Amino acid sequence: MLVRFWGTRGSLPVAPTAATIRRKLAQALVSAGSLQFYNIAEAELFVEKELSFAAGATYGGATSCVELETANGSYFICDMGSGLRAFGLDSLRRNAAGHSKTFNFFQSHLHWDHIMGFPFFAPAFDPTVTIRIHSGHPDAEEALRRQQEEISFPVPFNWLRADIQFVRLTPGETYEVDGVKVETILQNHSHDSYGYRFTDADGKTAIYSTDSEHKLENMADEAAFIDFFREADLVICDTMYSLADSVSMKEDWGHSSNLVAVDLCHSAEAKCLALFHHEPTYEDEDIQRMHEESIRYEELTREGPPLDVICSYDGLEVRI
Amino acid sequence: MEYSLAVQDDAVHVRVDGRVDEATWEAFGGALSDAVQQAGQSGLPTVVIDLSELDYMSSRGLRVLTVAKRQADEGAIAIVLASPNEVMSEILAISRYDKLFTITGSAGAKQ
Repeated sequence: MLVRFWGTRGSLPVAPTAATIRRKLAQALVSAGSLQFYNIAEAELFVEKELSFAAGATYGGATSCVELETANGSYFICDMGSGLRAFGLDSLRRNAAGHSKTFNFFQSHLHWDHIMGFPFFAPAFDPTVTIRIHSGHPDAEEALRRQQEEISFPVPFNWLRADIQFVRLTPGETYEVDGVKVETILQNHSHDSYGYRFTDADGKTAIYSTDSEHKLENMADEAAFIDFFREADLVICDTMYSLADSVSMKEDWGHSSNLVAVDLCHSAEAKCLALFHHEPTYEDEDIQRMHEESIRYEELTREGPPLDVICSYDGLEVRI
Repeated sequence: MEYSLAVQDDAVHVRVDGRVDEATWEAFGGALSDAVQQAGQSGLPTVVIDLSELDYMSSRGLRVLTVAKRQADEGAIAIVLASPNEVMSEILAISRYDKLFTITGSAGAKQ
């Protein structure tokens, strides 16, 4: 299974400003000192090897959209955040090369930042495309139609030409979707959210669990999430806040912390945790610091096998 | 994880030994609740949690601290974290709990 991150930012799309780019360039030039580069490849190698990720790149600013590429051929996409626009364009290229035109979406929930990419999803205008939108919510269709009403968007939902189907999923059930086993779990978030567990034909398992708050008063209920994450190859987890923020100023905002994610993955003996749904006010340096601290916390609290803690960014590909 | 409660210097002291994690957080929460209750009943203004013998605390333990702090706030009782080791100091910084709690170097100091 190949996991592609098309959008990793939480709540609101963000983009680096001119000042941010200028600072990164200046920092790179200073770091290079008197070095000379004779072509772009040499310069890119320097950036990759010598600069930190925050200095030489960016985590990106598109909102939640993650693709799971499995062997059977149809598309699997978690959420329709603003990252969906880029995925849609890339899928047109792949479709032209003969890829299946069936798109299986799995919605964590229906809040703005998780559906805003759909009006810009180019394959929806292709009459030979099939779009199946899986959701635990009964009102997924209402949410998507509503955001394309005239007051919000110039192109109404009815103008889309693809065969668009809505499929309701229920926690506790196991589904097979185009050769992939899919399970879902109810999460704590305003108007509910759902996590997903995907297991492909090779037995590889990826978890998608975002916009999920693990409440102080319900810590005993986390056993259900530990079971859901059990021995997963990859857990993509909402790590928007510090633990202190999640229990104080930002309590009941519906999100979790890097520390809780590490603890759940440790208990579940998961292999890899991908930090996800990054706080939109965070600069690249802030996200990198959060990543470094998460790795350190994992080391300090590890009692069993090591957990690989990675930090998702727009464009990251992870093979499991 | 083991713990003990004692009254000293106008405060209820909770001494915790071992680690607070998935397996022990509920017992730790019970100890803190008892300590806050005892401080309230005795009219003592402070609960000192002596971390000097604590190996480390996971997010479970940290969140139990928050639950205890809320209970203590209702009775205008202060909770102080005392003498964390290097690992625990690092965890308090990573979690940003060093912004939520008063942390002192010594459990013996009068608060």
